[in-house]
Amino acid sequence: MASTTAGHLSGHAAVRARYNDVDPVYREVRELRLFGFVLFLLSDCILFGSLIFAYIYLRLSAPVWPPYLAGHQLQWFDTSFAAFNSVVLFGSGVTMHFALENWKHLHREKFFGWLIATIALGLAFLGGQAHEWAGVLRDGITWSNTTMGSSFYCLTGLHGLHVFIGTVFLAILGLQAKYGVYTGSKYQGLVAGTLYWHFVDVIWVFLFTLFYLW
Amino acid sequence: MAQERTPQPKIVQFEGLGPGFWPVTIFLFAVSVALALYWCFGNIDWLMPGWEHPLTDRTADIDDLVKFMSVFASAIMVFVTGYVVYFVIAFRARPGQSADTIGVPVHDSPKLEFWWTILPSALLAVLSAWSIVVWYKIYFGTSAPALTAEVVAHQFYFEVRYPGLKTGVATNSEPMHLPVGVPIRLLVTSADVIHQFWVPEIRLKTAGVPGLVQNLNFTADHTGTYDITCTEFCGAGHSVMQGKIVFDQVPAFNTWLNDKKKSEAAAAAPINLASGDKAAGQALFAQKCSACHNNPPTPFDQKLVGPGLLHITDDPAHPNLVTGKPPTPQNIAWILQNGFTGSIGTMPNRQANGLSDTDIANLVAYLTSLK
Amino acid sequence: MHTEHTEHEEIHADHGHIHPAPQGFIRKYVFSLDHKVIGFQYFFTGLFIMLIAGSFAELIRIQLTSPAGAIMSHTQYNEMFTMHGTAMVWMVLIPLVTGAIGNFVMPLQIGARDVAFPWLNMISFWIFPIAALTLFSSMLFGGPHAGWTEYPPVSLEDGTAGALWCLAIFIIGISSTMTGMNFMVTIQKMRAPGMTWTRMPLFCWATFATALMNMFATVALSVATGCLFLEHVFNVPWYDPTRGGSPVLFEHMFWFYSHPAVYIFIIPAFGVVSEILPVFSRKPVFGYKMIAFSSMAISLLAFTVWAHHMFPSGLAPWLQLPFMLLTYAIGVPTGIKIFSWIATLWGGRIYLTTPMLYAVGFLITFTFGGLTGVYLACVPFDLHEHGTYFVVGHFHYVVAGGAVMGFLGSIPFWYPKATGRLMNETLGKIGFWLFFIGLNGTFGPMHWLGLEGMPRRYASYEVFAKAFPDAVFWNRFESAFSFLMVASIALLIFNLLWSLKNGVVAGLNPWGARTLEWTISSPPPYYNFKNIPHVFDGPYDYSKPLPYENLDNEQPEFPEFGRVVMPIPLQTAGAGAH
Repeated sequence: MASTTAGHLSGHAAVRARYNDVDPVYREVRELRLFGFVLFLLSDCILFGSLIFAYIYLRLSAPVWPPYLAGHQLQWFDTSFAAFNSVVLFGSGVTMHFALENWKHLHREKFFGWLIATIALGLAFLGGQAHEWAGVLRDGITWSNTTMGSSFYCLTGLHGLHVFIGTVFLAILGLQAKYGVYTGSKYQGLVAGTLYWHFVDVIWVFLFTLFYLW
Repeated sequence: MAQERTPQPKIVQFEGLGPGFWPVTIFLFAVSVALALYWCFGNIDWLMPGWEHPLTDRTADIDDLVKFMSVFASAIMVFVTGYVVYFVIAFRARPGQSADTIGVPVHDSPKLEFWWTILPSALLAVLSAWSIVVWYKIYFGTSAPALTAEVVAHQFYFEVRYPGLKTGVATNSEPMHLPVGVPIRLLVTSADVIHQFWVPEIRLKTAGVPGLVQNLNFTADHTGTYDITCTEFCGAGHSVMQGKIVFDQVPAFNTWLNDKKKSEAAAAAPINLASGDKAAGQALFAQKCSACHNNPPTPFDQKLVGPGLLHITDDPAHPNLVTGKPPTPQNIAWILQNGFTGSIGTMPNRQANGLSDTDIANLVAYLTSLK
Repeated sequence: MHTEHTEHEEIHADHGHIHPAPQGFIRKYVFSLDHKVIGFQYFFTGLFIMLIAGSFAELIRIQLTSPAGAIMSHTQYNEMFTMHGTAMVWMVLIPLVTGAIGNFVMPLQIGARDVAFPWLNMISFWIFPIAALTLFSSMLFGGPHAGWTEYPPVSLEDGTAGALWCLAIFIIGISSTMTGMNFMVTIQKMRAPGMTWTRMPLFCWATFATALMNMFATVALSVATGCLFLEHVFNVPWYDPTRGGSPVLFEHMFWFYSHPAVYIFIIPAFGVVSEILPVFSRKPVFGYKMIAFSSMAISLLAFTVWAHHMFPSGLAPWLQLPFMLLTYAIGVPTGIKIFSWIATLWGGRIYLTTPMLYAVGFLITFTFGGLTGVYLACVPFDLHEHGTYFVVGHFHYVVAGGAVMGFLGSIPFWYPKATGRLMNETLGKIGFWLFFIGLNGTFGPMHWLGLEGMPRRYASYEVFAKAFPDAVFWNRFESAFSFLMVASIALLIFNLLWSLKNGVVAGLNPWGARTLEWTISSPPPYYNFKNIPHVFDGPYDYSKPLPYENLDNEQPEFPEFGRVVMPIPLQTAGAGAH
């Protein structure tokens, strides 16, 4: 049977060849992957959508919100710190946008700079969430004593998990970019990473609105 | 794409729409009409309980809708089965035909497809309208109810609370009663898991969902005794969660309700315990109480269904009764009169246990004599 | 040498390169990336679990031969119907119709060498036995008891078993979602050159519609069972009304998935019927476009009707209306398909082979199940018959009489392609009649019992039997007929094994069919197509020349009589040999 075109190469050269135009048919693989990734993001939207539906349902069917716990009514969540943390996260969305733009215009060093900034801001956001959780816990809200807690911790926790996985994902993309997997015209992986990061941002818009503004 | 074309394959030959198509179609139509007439005018009491003599105003509405659906469902089923069987026979490959004979290469027929889309859609539109009418009557059709009772589902019985009655009627120990000829509203909920309250002859079922109250509205047409059954899985006793519902004429219902109110008042009244007989109490304990409490009585923790009663008056580990009150004769009598539901389970009240005032006095005398 | 795994990921939708053959037993049969091997793996695992879940069903039927319950305690019985339903839905039906037939057939029909993401395909499969083991391990902890729907609060009584149930469903959900994504990308991007959407075989349309539902509905189930798991293990109050939760919330999220799930069962079966009917009628599928579009319409509408499972359960009355009307509406595309299939039979030249028997039987039993579904869509009727045997009868007609019939028909149809041999026709036909008669005898009377008031999930029915004494006879009748279905499956397994060695050698195209899988050898080589064919028309019209170019093997334009295994003794040992 015919062997692969890149069969005679090895290691990094093989990886580069696979993703460059050594065999024009290979480019279709990356398009497949990007399409598949977009579908995955759509299903992730429905994942969050379902959990958000659950929160809205419980909140609308509760006789009073915030609910009562041990005889007194709970306080609304404090907006100020969360708003600051949101700016951090949206900022990371801006930096990611610039990272991709720079890659498109072949400014590799700038790309890495913006990418690292994105990852740093993402991790900072996670640190902020940990601080926020500590504050909510101090107010006596746990995930098992009230639905205000269960919905808050589960939704922000799921989102935080997505942010964490996103930072790992971006780091991997950065390493791949460093080893030449992407070129100026073939960078579907970076597009996927950017889409994912923006998705995480958009979900946060919803969560912030639903927990802090409503 | 130039290819050497082999000769066109032969196509099956038949007259018109197929051999015997119209006789078959007319036959299927006749069967459908016969079934339709049966649904509309026949005695279908064998199919659903109380079909011929609907129990409630809603029953008849629902049954009429069922008749309508059945007319068309059986027609569709007759035609689908009939045509499938007929086509498979009429158009079967016959050995006489040449090897490469094919079927009629028709891809579609816009006119046919139009009609078989429009007609079912029209049918469903009519069904939708009719269903909405019946739906409306079910939920909004009952004006102010003459009687509102609460049905609280438990594992594994329904507790029916009537206005003016403090304790509910537990359907695992006695039937619930409702009056005939007046609008009734049942408010259905649950004390533990999801149950469903259903009397097949009423047709409507309502889930008892903990945390929600649902309305069930109807007016009963005639008297009778019927089964209540739970139709939402609710645990190990789901299969035995049944009861009886009795429909009485209004005077008989009022009598029943008033009798219950009287005996409840009597039950609540303090009983003269001074004349209690220990020995009679002991015999009665063996007869009525030993099903759930160990006999001879044991310490509290040696439970059967209920706790051991040996140290009911002097147990340092349990200084109070399960009601939280001190173990005085009156408080013990209270439990015997009213029953008790707690973390261990449910003890039936005096009606369920069939205890007279004397019985209670005797039992109290016996229990307080235990050490 | 470069790493092997990326090689196997490279799929070339055009006249691309063929990767080297996998080496070694593990690579070839255990951790295989070949969609055909993965299809086999799903098939055997699913069939094995079907035997277990089926025996639970038989224990249920034996229990119900006596109104007091013949052999089991109530708790044991509750565990049996819960495991039967759970295993059948998630560990048998979905893996078999999507993972087994979808995986094996769809890439062949679109002219691809594999699916878009073979690695993901392999992982999707291996998640399946893990999920199954998790599910069955729950029986060591007493087993779940509250039915395959495991509604809280009652399901919270299940303790560890309930938590394991949630975990198992969550795990298999990941497999379904990944497979859905894989298939959607494959069909969207990897069709052979010239195969436009309207030239694609209807089974692939069905697979696409199913993959869409798999991909987008399953996540709702993951949320529902994930939250239930948290409530079991960490006491997190999503469904506990005493702490602000709501049991009806679980029902909403559960059914948002589980309604599309039932269409996931049936639409591949629709696809199978659409493939079988034209071949054995020797004429095109009638109304190809309407069948294709109605599959998509059903797939989209499926997301809008979930609360018809919840009519008595606490929905606000005004909310019941749209669900009732949309459920009625979904009957229209389904009806169109049935009529189109019947019109496919009209004017055909019909060979009643085993696959054709299943397809024709499907038309009858699925229509019946679909009609009883219209009854249940009607809110006033559903308020009467929810939770009774009428529902059990309905869904077994559409599942056993629909999805399983389609699946059982697909086996003798594609077995020759998968193994190179035909299955035994006589045994196949006997198996069909056993199944068909058994199905109708078991599930038919259930409708009547339900109308008379017999509730479902009852381990004993003494009170009902007093009100309706015939119940005892009919339950025994149903139990007796259920054993016919057991016999049918036993015969099927025997036939599968026997035909491996003794079946008539099949050749490329024993049925004289016109879709692409019949242009390559039986069984196909690991790379499927040496030359990716070019397509210039739809596949079903026997009056036109074969619409492919660049085929690996020569095919006669008009497949002949001698290629089809006839139900009359004109079959010779060489029939179909090419």
